[in-house]
Parts: sequence; structure tokens; C-alpha cells
Amino acid sequence: MDETQLIDGLARGDREAFREFVELYKKKVYFLALDMVGNAVDADDVSQEVFLKVHRSFGTFKKDAKLSSWVYRVAYNACIDHIRKREITPAPAGDEVLESRANGEVSPAWSTAPADPGRAVETAQLQARIARALDRVSPQEKAVFLLRHYDELRLKEIADTLHLSIGSVKSYLFRAIRKLQKELGSPGAAGMEVSRD
Amino acid sequence: MISCRKSKDMMIEALYGELPPAEKETFYAHLQSCPDCASEYSVLGATLRVMDERRLPDPGPEFWANYWDRLAAKMGKEDAAESGRVPILARLRRSFAALPRWSYQAAAGAVLVVLGILIGRSVFAPSGEKSPRPGASAPSALAAVSNDPAVRAQRYIERSQVLLLGLVNYDPKTQDLYGLDLAGKKAVSRELAGQAADIRSSLKDPRQKRLRDLVSELELILMQIANLDAGNDLDGVELVKQGVEQKGIFLKIDLTRMASAAGGDEAPPARPKPGGSSRPKNPNQDKV
Repeated sequence: MDETQLIDGLARGDREAFREFVELYKKKVYFLALDMVGNAVDADDVSQEVFLKVHRSFGTFKKDAKLSSWVYRVAYNACIDHIRKREITPAPAGDEVLESRANGEVSPAWSTAPADPGRAVETAQLQARIARALDRVSPQEKAVFLLRHYDELRLKEIADTLHLSIGSVKSYLFRAIRKLQKELGSPGAAGMEVSRD
Repeated sequence: MISCRKSKDMMIEALYGELPPAEKETFYAHLQSCPDCASEYSVLGATLRVMDERRLPDPGPEFWANYWDRLAAKMGKEDAAESGRVPILARLRRSFAALPRWSYQAAAGAVLVVLGILIGRSVFAPSGEKSPRPGASAPSALAAVSNDPAVRAQRYIERSQVLLLGLVNYDPKTQDLYGLDLAGKKAVSRELAGQAADIRSSLKDPRQKRLRDLVSELELILMQIANLDAGNDLDGVELVKQGVEQKGIFLKIDLTRMASAAGGDEAPPARPKPGGSSRPKNPNQDKV
């Protein structure tokens, strides 16, 4: 099913098309949510909420728009809503990853780390540092960075997705990378290749 | 040559390989001659390479295998809650939103005709009928109207008509299924179908046979709608549309309404009966 067929199916309320759509986007949406909200339980809730929203409001999708841009937009909004709600009872996002590792809850991705214990520790430290660095970036800067760096959306697509100008996208991205560089460049960073200016 | 400011503006695109070929040459030429910009570009690039090392904890194959089932369960709950909780006003609003513009114009025309008839009746009615009975208060008069079986039947028919218009005018080629609000229509249909037996049994007057038959026909169609699949039962919707057309439901509704407006046998009273056992025939029927 190509994108046009998928969109037609979704517009008709075809359940099979919706299922295919979920299969296609579930990982993208989940991992974006995970990076945005910082923990697996919330990421699962947010990602499912994204698909429920799509199911409820596919009528608002304009057929000339790109499906992926629209989905990322819905996902971004859901993440921002979640972060705002959570601000009432804040919980540090990056620490959860550290805690889960500290408790020995090793996820499959972590388990792909090298068997060499020394290298495994080094990798884990680097991951923790990256997570913490990402946590220092504002939600909007983070979203722009994640969409460009990991989801590989082009700058124009990000601008369309987040309803920003390309200039703003570039500006957010530049600021995000500078902040990451500052955090990652701190003395003692494991596996650090960059230097502070 | 470009300025450092311009170079920084191009840096993001250069880092992600989005710089147009023509600008690429200028940009890299600037880096050759500007150590500060070259250093910054190198540092940002190194940061991105570190970020490439980012690994997210994958929740595992079981999580992904069950993802759809969990979502489908939530959708089921939401659909059930939706059909149970949507207030009548919201459902009607949705139903009205789905109607084409001409239906509003037609409805407005019908309201004007009925209003004209009512005004005509009160102005030209015999003196004994012009004012309410002495001692009859407005609320009791209203209550009498709302309890009149013919009035209830007409209201029932009007609500059914609004619902059916939303369904009949739905075109899957140009409208999405969400605009149809099938779950809302199913709920309203269920509610209306539940009232049908009561309304039908209250229409005891032999002259109300046409009204009674119409209520019965509508009941069957409403039950058909109430039993559609909530998701995407487009075939079922199509069957309902065909049934409405074949049975000439809208024509029958119009005929009943015209008979009612003209004060025919099946018309509800314009106001509470003045005390007589049978409703007096409208003396101004010909004038309207």
C-alpha cells in the first residue's frame, strides 16, 4: 500500500489501513516520544495517544500534505502536552535511564553493548551523558534536533511539520547542537571527541 | 567571499548535506580562509558524530508485537465511551454539521411556512379560540402540546429526518468517515428507536394511521442504523441509503408534514384543545 492508498484508506476509516499505518509509524512515534518525554512508560502512553488522535481526527488531515509530517506534528504536540502536564509534578527525564541501568534493568538495546565490561561501562556512561545533554535542550530545540538527526527529516519538512520558518528551524538546530556540544564537552566525558571552545 | 555570519547561517545545511552545490563551494572556500569558522564547523560536526552513538532502550519484540492489540483495545473503549457519553446537543451539532447548505435553507423554509400557518390560525380563528382558555397558564398549555401524541410523533419524525439526511447526503468519495460520525448517529438512532413503540401506541386515532405507519418504517431504519458496525460499515450505510430511497421515506415525511400543516386529520393541534372532546377543524384551512 503506497502513501496515497494509505491516506485514502485512512480517510475511509478502513481499519486495515489504519493498522498498516500504525505498524509503519509506531517505532518512529514511540522513539520520538521516548526522547521527548524521557521514560518508556510515558513514551508508550504518549505514542498510543498519538495514534488515537490520528484515529479520531484524520478528517483534519489535508490530502495535499505529507502524511509523515502530519504524524510527527501530532506526535510533537502530544509530547509537548505531556511535558506541560508533567511540569506540575516534575520528574527528571534523563535520570530514569540512569536509574534503570543502575537497577540492572538492561533493555535489549543496551544488551547489544560490548561484552567487555570496561567498554560496556564506557558505553553506558556515554549514553547517560548524551541523555543528560539532550535534557538540557529546550523541547522545541530538541524536537527539531531529533527530527533532523534521527528521523532524518529535511529542514523544509521540519519547518512544515512544526509550522516554523526554515530560518527558525536552522536557528533552533544550531542552538541545540551548541548546547549539546557544551554539555558533552564537559571534562571527563566518556568517549568525547569534541573540545570546548 | 562570504562573511562569517553568512558562513554560520550555512553551517547547519552543510552539516546535514543540504547545502546546494553552488553554495557548497563558497562555504568550503570560506572555511579554508577562516580558522574560527573552520574550528566551529569541526566542533559541531564532532558533536553530531557523538550524538550518532545515541542508543535508545528498545522495549523488546513482545512490546512491539502487542502494540496494535493494546491500541485496538483503547480504541474499542473510546468508541464505546463515545457512543454512551456524547451529549444529545453535541450529537445533533455533528449531525447538523454534516448537512449540506440546501438542507438548512429547506428547513428554514419549512419553519417559515409552519409559522405562517400558526400565525394565520391565531389571527383568523373564531373568537372562542383566539385566546387561551381562562385560567389556562402558559406552562400547562405547553405541557399539553408536548404531551400530544401527534406533536411527539412529529418531533420524532423531525429528529429522524435530520439523522437520515446526514446519512443519505454522506458521499464517501468526497467526505471522510469521521465527518459522518457514525458512532454518534448510531447512538441517536438507538435512542429514537427506543421511543418508537411508545409513540406508535399513543397514536390511537384511526385518522393517524399514516403517521403511525411512518413511525414504524422509521423505527426499522433506525434499528438498522443502530446495528451498523461503528468503525467503517460503509456497505451498511449504503444499504440504509437505498432503503430510505426505495421506501420514499422523505416523500412520506413531507406528505405527513404537509397534512399536518394544512390541519388535516393527522395534524397536531396548534394549541391545546379548548375543552371539546375532538379537535375542531381549522376554519381557515382554505385561506392558508
